[in-house]
Amino acid sequence: MENILELHQVSKTFPKSNFMLENMTFSLPYGAILGFVGENGAGKTTTIGCILNTMKKDSGTIKIFGKEMLDEDTDMREKIGVVYDGDNFPAYWTIKQLSQVMEGLYRQWDHSLFQKYVEDFQLPIKQKIKHYSRGMTMKLAIAVALAHHPQLLILDEATGGLDPIIRDEMLDVFLEFVQEENHSILLSSHITSDLEKVADYITFIHNGKLIMTASKNDLAYNYAIIRCKESQFLALDPNDIVSFRKRDFQIDVLVANGKNVERKYKDIVIDHVSIDEIMLMLVKGEHR
Amino acid sequence: MKGLLKNNFYATLSNVKVFSIIMFLFFVFVIIIDNRIPLLIISYMLLGMVGFSFNFIASLRKESVTKWSKYKLTVPVKRSEIVQSYFLSLFLWLVVGMIFAGIGVAFSVILHGFPFDRNTDIFMMFVVGVGISLFMGTIFFPLFYLGGEERSELFLVISLLSGVGFIMASSTCMNILFPEMNNIQIILCGVVILMTAFLMFVFSYLLTVYIYQKKEY
Repeated sequence: MENILELHQVSKTFPKSNFMLENMTFSLPYGAILGFVGENGAGKTTTIGCILNTMKKDSGTIKIFGKEMLDEDTDMREKIGVVYDGDNFPAYWTIKQLSQVMEGLYRQWDHSLFQKYVEDFQLPIKQKIKHYSRGMTMKLAIAVALAHHPQLLILDEATGGLDPIIRDEMLDVFLEFVQEENHSILLSSHITSDLEKVADYITFIHNGKLIMTASKNDLAYNYAIIRCKESQFLALDPNDIVSFRKRDFQIDVLVANGKNVERKYKDIVIDHVSIDEIMLMLVKGEHR
Repeated sequence: MKGLLKNNFYATLSNVKVFSIIMFLFFVFVIIIDNRIPLLIISYMLLGMVGFSFNFIASLRKESVTKWSKYKLTVPVKRSEIVQSYFLSLFLWLVVGMIFAGIGVAFSVILHGFPFDRNTDIFMMFVVGVGISLFMGTIFFPLFYLGGEERSELFLVISLLSGVGFIMASSTCMNILFPEMNNIQIILCGVVILMTAFLMFVFSYLLTVYIYQKKEY
């Protein structure tokens, strides 16, 4: 399958904070949504900064639409829609002024499509952006990102801080967007329930390092947690264990193939696992 | 690029509306009052030429309180075009200031006669106003990106003082070099000051682009 976005061994160091993004490698296929998950400060925004050239990577390659994007590649940026968490646009703009500015920036700016989103999202037209609620601000940013007919949406915590109803509305908009087979979304979030609803693939990162990328179906249907005693844990084949976490009276073990494990070991309790739990197990668990 | 210029315009709009009203009231005052006090018309001209540019630079802070500075880098424009839009906007606001100053002084001369001692004084007032504005931009923009956008107020004060200092230093140098100047020599000196300010403005643009290319958000 062809990829709209490919990162290979991307690294970036911040000497002042000692934070390092290390060898980030993942890809986003055409027609898919990739959830980019990690705790606060894991390196999600840094990775997105490197992808969008707002930060300079130290090494590695990033290909968007099959080529590296440089400052002069304005045509490529024409095909990318971006939403950051919080206030994306100057507070002094009105919707009309915003549309005029965007019209002067994007060749493909579609004023009528933007108007449609503004109406659908029930955004007040006459108010300045500074009077918008957080939900309205995010809806507006999503409307802008979609109104120039992008192929790739890059959303950095775009659903963070939204109430569940607005979040649900926005997720539906994202799902509609990827109905076109050449459209894709990179959705960074730590709200894993959003990703469970819309993502096709999920990439987990922690402390600037990639932990793993897996398809959501794989995570939902194959990954599982074994709740076992110490003696049962010791009997497990290390190859079956992705990570484990010791609790007071039991050990939780994350396994990548629940069905096989269930057949292989008798008298063990196997539970389905949420993405939240997988993230916790990967981040806080121990690895054999 | 057009979008960037529009944004720069909207950023300045609310401040400029207030400033234009003040300038209009000042204009009315200047043309009502007899021009026996040349300082009044001098103040009006300088305020017009420096004030609009100053307002534009002061409004840039509004951008940096949102993620727009970062967002801008994701839209289809080059970094050099973003810097270009700032320099061009400052220049356009300077032209607006010059128009205000020109209309004010024209009305004053028509109604009350020539207010200065020498014919070249009005030209030199324009040299001073344009010189301060251009030099203010010359200093401000590289500092804005080099020192951090959150310190823009400090850089604004520094750049305005530098603009005034540049004009004072230039005119002092001219007076030392040519103590007894005729009108043509005065005009030539003015042209030299303007050209110096303009060349420094262009150099500052190149320097700002260089700094901005390395800037990370």
